[in-house]
Amino acid sequence: MQTLTLPHLLDANASLHGTAVAVREKQLGIWRADTWATALDTTRAMALGLHTLGVGVSDVVALLGQNRPNWAYGEIAAHACRAMSLGVYRDSLAEEVGYLLSFCKAKVVLAEDEEQVDKLLALGEQIACVQHIIYDDERGMWKHQGGDARLLPLKQLLQAGRAELARNPQAWQQLLAAINPDDVAILCTTSGTTSHPKPAMLASAAFVGHAQEMLKVDPRTSQDEYVSVLPLPWIGEQVALGQWLLSRFVFNFCEEADTTAADMREIAPTALLWPPRAWEATAAEVKARMMDASPIKRALYELGLKLGYRALDAGSNPWLSQWLVGRALRDHMGFTRLASATTGGAPLGPDVFRFFRAIGVPLRQVYGQTELCGVYVMHAPSEVNVATVGRPLPYVKLQIANPDRNGLGEIVVQHPGMFKGFYANEEATQADLREGWMHTGDAGILHADGQLEVVDRVRDLARLRNGDAFSPQFVENKLKFSPYVGECVALGDGREFITALICIRFSIVAKWAEKSRLAFTTYSDLSARPEVAELMRTEVAAVNAQLPAAQRVRHFFLLYKELDPDDGELTRTRKVRRNTINERYGNLIEALYQGREQVAVDTTITLADGRKSRIKTTLTLITPPAAAAQELHA
Amino acid sequence: MANTLFRATNVSLEFKGVKALRDVSFEVRTGELFSIIGPNGAGKTSMLNCVSGRYQPTQGSIEFDGQRISGKSPAIRARLGIARTFQNLALFAHMSVLDNIKVGRHHLMRKGFLAGGLYWFTGAREEELAHHAAVEQVIDFLEIQHIRHRQAGTLPYGLRKRVELARAVAARPRLLLLDEPMAGMNLEEKEDMARYINDLSREWNMTIVMIEHDMGVVMDMSDRVMVLNFGQKIAEGSSAEVLAHPQVREAYLGH
Repeated sequence: MQTLTLPHLLDANASLHGTAVAVREKQLGIWRADTWATALDTTRAMALGLHTLGVGVSDVVALLGQNRPNWAYGEIAAHACRAMSLGVYRDSLAEEVGYLLSFCKAKVVLAEDEEQVDKLLALGEQIACVQHIIYDDERGMWKHQGGDARLLPLKQLLQAGRAELARNPQAWQQLLAAINPDDVAILCTTSGTTSHPKPAMLASAAFVGHAQEMLKVDPRTSQDEYVSVLPLPWIGEQVALGQWLLSRFVFNFCEEADTTAADMREIAPTALLWPPRAWEATAAEVKARMMDASPIKRALYELGLKLGYRALDAGSNPWLSQWLVGRALRDHMGFTRLASATTGGAPLGPDVFRFFRAIGVPLRQVYGQTELCGVYVMHAPSEVNVATVGRPLPYVKLQIANPDRNGLGEIVVQHPGMFKGFYANEEATQADLREGWMHTGDAGILHADGQLEVVDRVRDLARLRNGDAFSPQFVENKLKFSPYVGECVALGDGREFITALICIRFSIVAKWAEKSRLAFTTYSDLSARPEVAELMRTEVAAVNAQLPAAQRVRHFFLLYKELDPDDGELTRTRKVRRNTINERYGNLIEALYQGREQVAVDTTITLADGRKSRIKTTLTLITPPAAAAQELHA
Repeated sequence: MANTLFRATNVSLEFKGVKALRDVSFEVRTGELFSIIGPNGAGKTSMLNCVSGRYQPTQGSIEFDGQRISGKSPAIRARLGIARTFQNLALFAHMSVLDNIKVGRHHLMRKGFLAGGLYWFTGAREEELAHHAAVEQVIDFLEIQHIRHRQAGTLPYGLRKRVELARAVAARPRLLLLDEPMAGMNLEEKEDMARYINDLSREWNMTIVMIEHDMGVVMDMSDRVMVLNFGQKIAEGSSAEVLAHPQVREAYLGH
């Protein structure tokens, strides 16, 4: 067996399966296929072209553009030169591109088109490290003619590569022979929500090895079809590229981002890894379109979905619901042949998860990080479950560091395919990678049956007085499942038990009040009604039933106003600012823990239009029944 | 100097005593982007209609590629290689975008009703595929892949304008007439449209005559500009020359 790196795999595929289809791309309205032989031919020319430009060991080749075959070929070509590939998201702002390119000292950039070239040229001196800008699509490039000397059309690079091959027919084999499988091949940027993105270094053979390990749990064959929708710089898509070379499924590229849905339907892929937002958007689209459908169709849809949910819960065969709506819906989304559907990157809402399972999409959760080469925890098809993310791959070592009584602690992981550290950032590497273990910063529980449950970020955990860790956000998200709950804050850090401040969702509760013939004036008035208190008491009790005993909400108040970013109580992305809440509602929180039945409030709030309004009301402590029963037992 | 593709000499147009155009003469050179500007009612669209053949000038002559075409019908002019877009959209609202654009190729199609009926045996199939490929190139160029199967009438205004341009471009005209291609568009749509027109001119080397109200656009893009006022030509030249012209300043700025 020869060395397992991406260029070696491509070379082997081309010699063994040269006439099979490797890649398809929709161009001018028609799907055009490349065979493995063509894929090799282009990649080889690109690699030798880069080689003649002087690209070699430890140089960085950046790739900037939409997912296209040439993007994939460019990455493999860079690896063939022993250079590192750096995928840059094509919708990055110019300054982000500039930061990444100069930080990684990129020598060559493969840019898709004029749009990306414009972005690069506008950066000027900031990317002085870049010696060549190679562009693929020549459309609109007339205005740069005779301009920047670094510009080079891809066509010319390929010509130079082919000329080199004609001069030295062994040139490609020589490149392959020189590859060291331990070379860092891929610089994969981590999502930088709080700071600049950090490129993680993934080694050539280890990366391929990891893709191989994933295939053992989630196999693919050469008969499979995959549509490359998510950006190639993302680790999930990178691993898909590795799997493509390993199992030779067809890698399909859409015509344009706007045509993705139509193209997906035409291909009907058999495998898909999407982050939650893509699944959520698709589900929302279906629901929105059903609202416009004719009453008969809508009734059928609702009936079919109801039957689907029932079958899902009972574990029975949902043939009727599949026949009614499942098949048609899947056909519209291009999911008819989907055998492996996964979601990862962030938690997916259980309702969306259930929706797809009910219409017959075999959706599974997976878990991973860029640093750990993407996905390394996934469900086997038979043990799918919405609460957990699955079982670690067989070759992955996973531990929970500093667990509390219930086994909740930080997830730390080690496996051969993991990163070698962050590029040129020893400090960050040491912070995350300690004694060979990657500290993910995620808090989770490894259950006795080997299933991993991810709860929250470690730094967002709170601890009860007895040392039990819990995630306020987890409790809040559960509460927000009730349509009547607008915002809420779960409390309990350093306390005996968990309590909450809850804001009713005004629009929904108001509608409910109208239906129940309940008169009210303002938000504060409505939330102080005893009927509303009773409603919320039942709602919270229902949520409590789904929570572990220690994490149930024992008492809560309905707040007299909505939490508002303008008052600093929420961030602009609507996350709770706990410190502000603790200060502002300190007296209410004390009352919750002292179990005071009534609290009189007399305060002034600023309305959205700047007017001040005085609120004088009395809050009543609400105690959900389940918690009350528990106290009796205790 | 590039050779002249189109020439209008002393063109006048009269509607029952109303003089829409008086003695207008101008030339369009091969490969240039020529704009006609002027206040409302200055006769811009009338001039364009004289070029495309919708109106016949009451006086004067019109030449295209050295051939006198005044008096010829719009259909004949289209066959000679003149295509246009309209200020108020003229798409077939119930046809798909693809079919609308294919209409632009109609005058290039040779196979008739009978040959089309014997689709596989007469070469009609090959012809259709070739035309389809040409249409897809235009679709790619104007970036309307995602709407190619949509009904034209259901599209938002900006996209309909783009489809109309696609139909005109699909005819592969030697002279492309654009009647206010950016009217009613928002800034982003205007920028896109300007880019397409620029690329058509510089990359596809298309000769273009454009009427446009947005002065910024006209002055940025055009090789030469002609200014009409009350049916008369008051200036012609490069953007800078025209802007400096005292009569233009008066017509536009009122001083």
